[in-house]
Amino acid sequence: MMLICIVLIPLLAGVIAWAIGRQNPGAARWVCLLACAIDLVILLTLWNNQAAMAAFAAGGPWLMQVNVPWVPALGISFHLALDGLSLLMLILSAFLGIVSVGCSWTEIKERVGFFHFNLMWVLAGIMGVFLAMDLFLFYCFWELMLVPMYFLIVIWGHENRIYAAVKFFIFTQFSGLLMLLAILALYFLHGHATGTYTFDYDLLLGTKLGSGAAKWIMLGFFAAFAVKLPAFPVHNWLPDAHTEAPTAGSVILAGLLLKTGAYGLMRFVVPLFPQAAIDFTPVAMTLAVIGIIYGAVLSFAQTDLKRLVAYSSVSHMGFVLLGVFAWNRIALQGAVMQMICHGLGTGALFMMVGAIQERIHTRNIEKMGGFWEVAPRMGAIAMFFAMASLGLPGIGNFIAEFLVLLGSYQANATMTSIASLGLVLGSIYSLWIVQRVFHGARENQAKLPDFARREIALFASLIIALVGLGFFPQPIFKTADPALSKLQQLAVAGQGAVQVSEAKHSGGNS
Amino acid sequence: MLMLPELLVVATALVVLVIDLFLSERTRWLTGLITLLGLLAAMAAACTNTMHGALLGGRFVVDAVAWWFDILLILAAFVTVILSMDVLNGNTRVRMRGLGARAEYYCVLLFTLAGMMFLISSRDLITFYVSLELATIPMFALAAWRRDDARSGEAGLKYVILAALSSSLIVYGMALLYGLTGQTNLDAIGRILPNHVGPAFWFAVAMLVAGAGSKFTVVPFHFWAADVYQGAPTPITAYLSVASKCVGLAFMFQVLFRIFGGWLHDGSLLVSIFAATTMTLGNTVAIVQHNIKRFMAFSAVSQAGYFLLGFLGPNEAGVAAMLFYMLVYIVTNLGVFTCIIWYQNETGREEIEDYRGLSQTNPIMALMMMVSLFSLAGIPPLSGFVGKFFLFSIASSAGYHWLVALAAVNSTVSLYYYLRVIRQMYIEPPDADARRIPITKKLAVTEAFLFAGVVILGIVPTLYESIHADTATWLATLLR
Repeated sequence: MMLICIVLIPLLAGVIAWAIGRQNPGAARWVCLLACAIDLVILLTLWNNQAAMAAFAAGGPWLMQVNVPWVPALGISFHLALDGLSLLMLILSAFLGIVSVGCSWTEIKERVGFFHFNLMWVLAGIMGVFLAMDLFLFYCFWELMLVPMYFLIVIWGHENRIYAAVKFFIFTQFSGLLMLLAILALYFLHGHATGTYTFDYDLLLGTKLGSGAAKWIMLGFFAAFAVKLPAFPVHNWLPDAHTEAPTAGSVILAGLLLKTGAYGLMRFVVPLFPQAAIDFTPVAMTLAVIGIIYGAVLSFAQTDLKRLVAYSSVSHMGFVLLGVFAWNRIALQGAVMQMICHGLGTGALFMMVGAIQERIHTRNIEKMGGFWEVAPRMGAIAMFFAMASLGLPGIGNFIAEFLVLLGSYQANATMTSIASLGLVLGSIYSLWIVQRVFHGARENQAKLPDFARREIALFASLIIALVGLGFFPQPIFKTADPALSKLQQLAVAGQGAVQVSEAKHSGGNS
Repeated sequence: MLMLPELLVVATALVVLVIDLFLSERTRWLTGLITLLGLLAAMAAACTNTMHGALLGGRFVVDAVAWWFDILLILAAFVTVILSMDVLNGNTRVRMRGLGARAEYYCVLLFTLAGMMFLISSRDLITFYVSLELATIPMFALAAWRRDDARSGEAGLKYVILAALSSSLIVYGMALLYGLTGQTNLDAIGRILPNHVGPAFWFAVAMLVAGAGSKFTVVPFHFWAADVYQGAPTPITAYLSVASKCVGLAFMFQVLFRIFGGWLHDGSLLVSIFAATTMTLGNTVAIVQHNIKRFMAFSAVSQAGYFLLGFLGPNEAGVAAMLFYMLVYIVTNLGVFTCIIWYQNETGREEIEDYRGLSQTNPIMALMMMVSLFSLAGIPPLSGFVGKFFLFSIASSAGYHWLVALAAVNSTVSLYYYLRVIRQMYIEPPDADARRIPITKKLAVTEAFLFAGVVILGIVPTLYESIHADTATWLATLLR
């Protein structure tokens, strides 16, 4: 029941905000802020429940689940379930929900109610994606994220918003439909083989597939997740969408939407198709490394500050892809950490850009410079997030990237060595942001008020979170570990089964 | 009692025609009310009738599929009548001329409905053909109802010529069937036909498939649709898009399952090619349309392509999936058309561009129209997605993965053009002098119900379960 509430609260808050937004925009903002806060409190109490955690770590099925039949004739059920991995992602969602409501407090002045409706529904879709354990339901939530995001970009976005929104929509929709195709194929192959037609994740695990079928179905899933992630070469919706979206949209996109792709890879692609995933690993790792380097290099070439941050996301998310396909415990822990830290850090950088744009009405780096003199608080905060982005020890991102590289070194030393170049490039463009925007001669004479209390509070919460993660990452590891090791076991078991059946097969032939 | 719904519809048609003679101009709106009451009675009769059985020596049979078709058809006609009332009674902001003769309008509409209901229940070549014509011929008059509008006349004329062509193909095919088998009973023909495979048989197949394709707007027999949809009075366009489609599906059921049931499995490839061309062409052409009615015509063509996926296999889940999607399609498409009719009544406009800023001039209608369009595009969790999902899964289980992939591409394309309308409503600002656009109670209530249907059918697809349970054994006797 609690799990349904977690999704339902933002849905309801969105409807309420829309209804009252016309008369009372302020109240709409508060309703949404409150909804996210309630969600966060619920999730934190769940996190604090030591008994349940211990039971799950000891081998229990889920921390918590709801499973009611939905369309029994087709084996569709309303199955929501929670483990450590989903829990961390949900906490991140609720937290960034608060941040994104907060950062649009002054930016959004038109159609406030409808804006918050879309924001809350995107959030609900994302939370649903992290919870759904029925593939049909998962697809429903997957699509639910899309439409409100389209509206966020297309109504409240910047100059080139329609082009960006349509591109975003078509990329994600098409890849989503490929996933739908893969889901159906998996459903029927499992049904033909076992006689039970079901979309339930737990039951579909360990489906024995021929290597050809497994490869194609895996690619269907991978396509959807790679677009969201985004992996090279299907990343090119991202710079446009991030750049044109309003600040809250960029925060949600970078902080959460991209994570759904990474989450999908961990939850579905590898456990459901272990052998196919292993065969695919060299390709995926190559794509990851290309993404890391390519994203970082393209960041240099940008004059639009927001586009620069967007390309840096491509680079950072490459580490997640690398970590997932290295598929050992250290790398996976690093990938989870990277998801969280990237969500917080890049979200903050987008808010920084949004704040600057709100003040001087441009995102062009060439028109900036010397802001430190007039806005020292802003400069200091920007400095911190640039350091986070380049992976300074003591901040969560360092731990994340370090663990990913450590883990993937065991899997593939060559790829890892190339990927670590990304760190060097990352420090260059991160410092470049600070240098070009906050130091040097002051070109732009527009008025630049420093951060006020609301903004300081938002950034401070993010800074505290990132530093906290940098010094005390253990709670995250402890929460994620049982879930990750369970996923690993599933993959190993599935892989064993495939090998056994193939061995049997070849034995029969000879 | 089996025929009670059909008889009630015919009786209402006659009552409306006669009562009209005794009504003055001021009380003539009563004819609409009587029509609605008659349809309600027919619906009640259909719903309470749980018996299946045969009448007239087996020429008229009610079975599970016929029962569901009756319900769907009455529903479509009921909503159409409500949608027509404002236009016919002159309750529109923009004066519309030439839509008089209310009683005749309702009467003709009811006759088409009766024809459609008889068609799915008929088991005899003669009854089958006569009911098809009863469903089609009055439609010509309805399409051309706006007498002083040249486009409406053109629509009627085009419809007459092309529908007559398809009817003649059908009658030719039927004659060949009779010549081959010497039977007029459809089931008997289906049984005997396998002994008579030869050139004449294949000729009959071609004729009937072309005829059925034309009724169901399957590419390449869809040519009549766009012009007729655009020219006909808008409530009739709505009726054409749902009821005609529904009866087209019923016709396909009769021809493909009942007569050619034995070959359907081998013919799957052909069906899949028709499905692929229909959805692709419908979708591609819809992208460039400017008139919303024409736009909806091509959207309807592409939807027909999705329906065809249900014939692949073929299995009983396909029957249930098609019937369920028909229900969803009727509700959703009428939801869109309610908005179109309302907007035309209030502003007299029907170009897609004219919808700009609707989210400001009437936010609630804009929302409902958007949700209906999203349902047509197949966005979860709306009913359109669930219905399409069932159809896709039929094709997938039949092994037509390439077709499902193509259908997926088509869904993306369709989303793009439905978004064109939504973009006008939500992103473009309204005209400077635009004011709030009011809505009549009738249309508001109708739209609210349809909207609820669009959402609820998706979230709680229990109706699919009951259709599935009802029709589970229907196909087994036909496919042999």
